[in-house]
Amino acid sequence: MIARSSTTGRIGLRDDALSACVSCGLCLPHCPTYRATGDERRSPRGRIALMRIVESGLAEPNAEWLAAMDTCIQCRGCEPACPSGVPFGELMADTQAFNSGTRRLPLRLRLGLRVLGRPQMLRLGTRLLALAQRMGFFRSSGFLPGRLPLRLPRRPAPAEVDVVLFTGCVMDTWTPHVHDAAQRVLEATGARVGRSGTAAGCCGALHVHAGLREEARSLAHRVMAALPGDQQVLADSAGCGAMLKEYGDLLGTEEAHAFSARVADVHEWLVERLDRLTPVGGRSEPVIIQDPCHLRHVQRVDGAMRAVLAPFVPVVELDDEGLCCGAGGAFAVLQPDLAAKVRDQKVAAIDRAVARSGAAVVVSANPGCSFYLGAAGYQVRHPLEVVAEGLAATGGQEMTDGN
Amino acid sequence: MEVLGPDRVTDGSAARRLYSRDGSVIEGGRAGPVCFPETTGEVVGCVQAARAHGRAFVPRGAGTGLTGGSVPCDDPVMIVTTRMNQILEVDRGRRVAWVEPGVVNLDLAHHLAGSGLHFAPDPSSQQACTIGGNVANNSGGPHCLAYGVTSAHVAAVEVVLSDGTVVVLGEEQGDSVGLDLRGAFVGGEGTLGVATKIAVRLTQDPPKVATLLLDFVEVADAATTVSAIIAAGVLPAALELMDRRVVEAVEPFVHAGYPLDAAAVLIVELDGLPGGVAHEVGLVTRIGSQGGARTVRLAADDAERDRIWKGRKSAFGAIANIRPDYYLHDTVIPRTKLAGVLDEVYAIAERHDLLVMNVFHAGDGNLHPLLLFDSREPGVMERVLAAGEEIVRASLAAGGVLSGEHGIGLEKRRFMSLQFSPEDLAAQDALRRAFDPDGIANPLKVLPTGASCGDVNALDVVPDGVWV
Ligand SMILES: Cc1cc2nc3c(=O)[nH]c(=O)nc-3n(C[C@H](O)[C@H](O)[C@H](O)COP(=O)(O)OP(=O)(O)OC[C@H]3O[C@@H](n4cnc5c(N)ncnc54)[C@H](O)[C@@H]3O)c2cc1C
Ligand code: SF4
Ligand code: SF4
Repeated sequence: MIARSSTTGRIGLRDDALSACVSCGLCLPHCPTYRATGDERRSPRGRIALMRIVESGLAEPNAEWLAAMDTCIQCRGCEPACPSGVPFGELMADTQAFNSGTRRLPLRLRLGLRVLGRPQMLRLGTRLLALAQRMGFFRSSGFLPGRLPLRLPRRPAPAEVDVVLFTGCVMDTWTPHVHDAAQRVLEATGARVGRSGTAAGCCGALHVHAGLREEARSLAHRVMAALPGDQQVLADSAGCGAMLKEYGDLLGTEEAHAFSARVADVHEWLVERLDRLTPVGGRSEPVIIQDPCHLRHVQRVDGAMRAVLAPFVPVVELDDEGLCCGAGGAFAVLQPDLAAKVRDQKVAAIDRAVARSGAAVVVSANPGCSFYLGAAGYQVRHPLEVVAEGLAATGGQEMTDGN
Repeated sequence: MEVLGPDRVTDGSAARRLYSRDGSVIEGGRAGPVCFPETTGEVVGCVQAARAHGRAFVPRGAGTGLTGGSVPCDDPVMIVTTRMNQILEVDRGRRVAWVEPGVVNLDLAHHLAGSGLHFAPDPSSQQACTIGGNVANNSGGPHCLAYGVTSAHVAAVEVVLSDGTVVVLGEEQGDSVGLDLRGAFVGGEGTLGVATKIAVRLTQDPPKVATLLLDFVEVADAATTVSAIIAAGVLPAALELMDRRVVEAVEPFVHAGYPLDAAAVLIVELDGLPGGVAHEVGLVTRIGSQGGARTVRLAADDAERDRIWKGRKSAFGAIANIRPDYYLHDTVIPRTKLAGVLDEVYAIAERHDLLVMNVFHAGDGNLHPLLLFDSREPGVMERVLAAGEEIVRASLAAGGVLSGEHGIGLEKRRFMSLQFSPEDLAAQDALRRAFDPDGIANPLKVLPTGASCGDVNALDVVPDGVWV
């Protein structure tokens, strides 16, 4: 997608991608930032029109223009809504790559992204933060899990395994119990599961969002180098899975395309093997499904997640057609006011679902969404945590929990 | 005079550019200050501020209009209603809902789902367009064939007039007493004031719905089948025609299972009591087969029905898969002339070396020929305009009218005198002046009187791309 057939102007956007927008406006209501503001500058149609203006040299980027771009969550809710098939994610990633060449990103973003790319630093920082949390120095901020793990598991990289669970950066460090649950479920199918671990590290998704394409490329190289072989690579984080699947486009090499072809979302893989998962049965409490944007709009495997959950718990749907929750990688940190307005919409939808069903637990297959909704006061779990609990005794063994 | 906080009014150049365009290719002037009021009082403030600064004002909803209705001329104050988006009250007993003008049509539909009632007008843009825009354009939709267009579903409107007075036109219940000013306002395209609250009439959900998809090898057979169905005394809830190019453009997006090799498909929706619907399904199937339909498919469930409709409603958006720009007309012709006029439309497009797609409300003869082009191709606009004009003339010659549902806006002003005599136009102008004596409410729209819009009058020059 990012590899382009022709570039036309200033930003270097692919001409066909840009001209695919006929400005019909059908995407407007599917855009969380337009929903929250009613402002065309916060909409896909408006952002595309503004890209066009700069691309064709009619105007220079100014603060208003940059704000229009920076307020995009890159949730890509506009993509499946667009009958013209405008590849909005590509246009915005290219635009942000162009922007990163014309200005310096905020210091905290640069620092944060650098830490993600360095597992050792992230682990050290996390232990310090966890300690400070235990000692009551600060309360949960909304961007960190309620309780960070003190003891961080280290596990060997895969050797003789059937599939590799991609463990990423923050999840591996902050919520290792999610990977444990995912591993238990995968093993319950009889598969031998390895982990990508610190050698592979961060997928680079947030770097792409921020327009730091070169950094993302070098992270991608590291991930690919750490995971040779031809086993499937399974992601239990929607954002990471989406990124890994786009390495082919990011690097444009045959090798990267081959790597991307090995990647699947955990649910996507499990749904083919549902017959091997036996629920304990009995009554279980319903859960409310939140669709992470990168699961629903980008990977489009939200159906698989539902199919995997269905034998284990009754699921309750939200009525907001998968509108973003506002977390968006680093978005909630960089645009806290707008993110909060977007989250208010999600909170209203969750509250309606709670009122309708009495469900108390929200499931989300993405760490960013989980933290952000957790900070709004919901009990949020990964779908596979729920599945793991509902599994009848299996051959899979309990992993040590970092918590 | 402070009317709105700084976060709800802007004169940023990016905003002014974006608010200079709607869903069409039409250009006018450049938007002035862009305002996002949230209450009737704030709309009054915006109107008074415009007046105080000697500017006009233009109401705007979602900007999905296709005739440049919310495209500004000169640099008016833009009154954007998207933040007035509350559903204020639903009175199930009296079947009326009060809504703010910025409520999205489909949001109202979702809100009412399960209540047994719905708001009948369902423009294909319903997922994005606002009720205020529907009222201003008197919009139609596939299901308006049986249920009537927006004006049949508006009981009352609260309006901010161009002098800042607030009036309520119409009655929540029963017919209005005296002159029907509500009826005059609906379809006023923002030239009569800003709608700030709307009482919409709700329609009972039909007990049974059946959706049929018929496919034909010849477009003419599909067109003839349309009049045969109605002639047989069946009044479908909706009756839509899509030709081959439309099917090819939308099928990859919706996967509705439309036959890709058909010259045209008809979507026929029948509703009512189960017995009656079953009978009509049989009747339509028979008429279709006699009329040359290859297959007649009955949607098995709601999911299949939704996909069939999603395809229809995505048509205008999906055309970029074929060419990046389109120019669309909206004429209405007598149903019996469908086959002939369609033939002419294809011939006109061919003469001008253009692609044309047809997707339209066949049941009421409301044509939507889309001329497809790439505005980057030199000289193409002249051909598009010439072909468009010939299509309009052909429709009028067949006894048709200029606009079915998209309104006149900026685009069709120049055709008004083809349909109306000078006396008719003077009468319309007098009505408008009664509402807006100074001509500051969405000026230079609809009526071909007065100056032209900005320097760039509608499509008389080549727009460079859709937005820029
Ligand atoms: C893909 C697509 C499909 C469409 N299908 C249909 C269809 O099936 N049937 C149909 O009829 N139309 C259709 N349209 C046209 C358009 O969507 C309708 O005319 C719609 O009602 C416009 O609503 P809006 O909120 O976008 O209004 P806008 O485009 O913002 O405004 C339209 C007009 O209404 C005026 N206006 C808006 N709000 C107010 C208000 N509160 N008070 C006074 N005046 C106001 C504006 O000044 C302008 O003149 C379609 C458009 C698209 C892009
Ligand atoms: S992005 Fe797609 S849906 Fe949105 S305005 Fe453009 S063509 Fe229409
Ligand atoms: S990516 Fe998300 S926030 Fe950005 S324009 Fe699309 S829908 Fe809106």
